[in-house]
Amino acid sequence: MKEYFKFFRWIYITLVIFLAIFLAIRGFHYFDSRMEHYERTNTECATTRRVFDNADVLSDKEEKKLAKLIEKRQAQTNCDIVLVTLNEPLREYAEAIEPDAFSDEYVRVYAEQFYADNKFGYDEADGDGIILVDNWSRADDGMIHTWLLSKGIVEDIFSYKDLDHILDRVYEYVENNPYRAYKTYINDFYDDMRGNRLFHTNAPGFLPIIVGVIASIIFIAVNWKAKSGVNTTTPVTYVSGKRADFVNAQDIFIRRSVTQHRIQSSSSSGGHGGGHHGGGSHGGRGHSR
Amino acid sequence: MIFKCKNCGGGMIYEAGKKSMYCPHCESTDSEYIVNEGSITVCGNCGAPITVGQFTSSDNCAHCGSSLVFNERIEGGYRPNLILPFTVNKDAAVEALNKEFDKRTFTPASFLSEKSLKNIRGMYVPFWLYDYQADYDFSGEGRKVRSWISGDTEYTETSYYNVIRQMKTDFDKVPADASNVMEDGEMDLMEPYTYEELMDFDPKYMSGFFGEVYNAGADELEERAKIKARSASEQLMQQSLSGYNSVTPHRKNLNLTRNGLNYALLPVWIYRYDYRGETYRFYVNGQTGKVVGKTPVSRLKLLLYGFTTLLSVSALAYLATEILEIL
Repeated sequence: MKEYFKFFRWIYITLVIFLAIFLAIRGFHYFDSRMEHYERTNTECATTRRVFDNADVLSDKEEKKLAKLIEKRQAQTNCDIVLVTLNEPLREYAEAIEPDAFSDEYVRVYAEQFYADNKFGYDEADGDGIILVDNWSRADDGMIHTWLLSKGIVEDIFSYKDLDHILDRVYEYVENNPYRAYKTYINDFYDDMRGNRLFHTNAPGFLPIIVGVIASIIFIAVNWKAKSGVNTTTPVTYVSGKRADFVNAQDIFIRRSVTQHRIQSSSSSGGHGGGHHGGGSHGGRGHSR
Repeated sequence: MIFKCKNCGGGMIYEAGKKSMYCPHCESTDSEYIVNEGSITVCGNCGAPITVGQFTSSDNCAHCGSSLVFNERIEGGYRPNLILPFTVNKDAAVEALNKEFDKRTFTPASFLSEKSLKNIRGMYVPFWLYDYQADYDFSGEGRKVRSWISGDTEYTETSYYNVIRQMKTDFDKVPADASNVMEDGEMDLMEPYTYEELMDFDPKYMSGFFGEVYNAGADELEERAKIKARSASEQLMQQSLSGYNSVTPHRKNLNLTRNGLNYALLPVWIYRYDYRGETYRFYVNGQTGKVVGKTPVSRLKLLLYGFTTLLSVSALAYLATEILEIL
C-alpha cells in the first residue's frame, strides 16, 4: 500500500489542490452572492408563480424545489427567472400572433407572449428577466423545440453564445433528468449574471471519463512491456571537445513571401436551430431535439 | 598467470572499492607478484585440469577457486590496448540492482523476494573502440514562418534561406562490444563509460573477474559503431538547423573515415536470474553503476494501477471542468 500511495502521490496532491480550489471558489461565490440585492420594483406582474410545469415532467416536490431556487436566484441576480414546460402543439397559437412564423419559432412566439402577458420583469413589466420555454410536444418537423428568451438587462449582458451555452447544458440532461436540466438553467443563469463564469467549456458530461480512459490506456500501454533501461548518451558523448566543428555555416536570404486570409467568425452553435428575433427589442435562442 | 601475495602466498584479486590489488587472506594490498605457471588447460595454482570457453581470457579455477588470467588470451593479437578497471565493487553493484528493482513498480513481488544476488559476476567485456573523422556537407532550403493578425486578416510571412553547413567532427572511441554472449542493445544502453579513467592494459585488473577476448574482428563489427557516429552526426546537424521551421535538404554527404582503433576491456557486472522458466539478465556498468535489464511485469498489478489512473484522472478532469465552469 505504501508503494501504491507513493506512486500516485502527485496525482492525489493535484486532486486535493483542485478540490480545494473548487471549494474555495464555490465558497467565495456563496458569500459574494449574498451581498448585492435590490428590491423588486415591478408591481404589475400578474403572478407570483415562476414554474409552470404544464407538461408535467416534474414532480410536485421538484417544482417546489425549483421555485425556491428561483426565488433565491432572483434576489441574487435582480432578474425574474421563469420556467415553462408545455406539451401541446403551438401552431395555431403562434400563427395567430405571427402568421409567417416557422415551426421552430412557435415556441419563441409563445415565450415572448407569455412573458409579456404576465408582465414579468424584476424592475418593471416586460423588464429584466429570462424565460425558458420547453415544449415537449413534437412540432410538425418532428422536433421538440425550446426557447430561451432574455429581456432587459439580461439581453444587454448575454451574448448568443451565453444563451446557447445554457441551452446546451439544459439539453445535456433534459431527456433523462428534466429536474436537473432546469436546475442547471437556473444556476447557470445565475453564474453568468454574476460574472462567475469566465469560460464556457461546453464540455459534455462524459468528457472526464473519456479523458480518464485515454490516460489509463496510455498508462497501461506504456508499462505493458518491460524496458531494459534508458539511453543516456547524447550526440556529443563521443565527440572530441564535446562540440561539433562547423567550418562553414551560412544562411543566405533568398526571398520572402507574405500570404493573407480573412478570419471567418462563427456565431451560431452547430447542430442547433434558432436565432434572434429581429422584429422585437429582445434577445433569445432556440434549440431543438 | 596468477597474482599471489608476497606476504602470505594467497591469491590476490583486484578490489574495485580499494582500487588496488587485495589479498582476501591476509588483507594486504598491492603486495602481488606474478606466477606464470599453468596454461589454458591446467590451473597454475593446483595443477587441476580446467576447461575454459572459446573466448575466455580470465576465470576462476573450479577446483581451488584461484583467479586465473590466461596468457594465451592476452598476448599478441589478443592483447588489449586499454582497460577500464572496475570502480563499482560487488556490494555497490548489488545495491544498484536493489535500488533499480525497487523503482520497477510492476515487477511481481515474488520476483523481488526470490531474487538472489549472490550470483552476480564481474566481467571484462571486450570492446572495439573506433575513432572517426566525420565530414558532413549539407545544403538545403530553410524556411522561417511567422504569423500575425491585423484586424480581421491573418498574415503569414515565409522567409526562404539557402542553408549551407560543413561540419567536421572527430569521434573518439565509439564503442561496439565484441562479445557474442552480451546482447548488443543492452550493451549500448550501458553507455556511456567515462573514458578519462581508461588505462593501458595491465592483466592485474582482470584478477578476480571473468574476462573474454574479442569474439569477432574490428572490421566485422564496425557497422554498429558507424551507425552511432552517423546518428550523432545527423543530430548535431539538425541542432544547427534549429532556427528554421522546416529545412528541405538538397545535398547531404556524410563521410566517416576511421582514423583510430582500440581494443579495450570494459567492466560489467552480470546478474542472471531464472524466474518461472525464464532467464532474466541484468547488467551493471562496472564504472558508473548504471543498471540495464528487463524485469517481468505483473499484468494484474498494472491493470489495478491503470484502474486507479482512470478514476483519478477522471476525477481531475471533472474538477478541472467544474472549476473552469464556475470561474
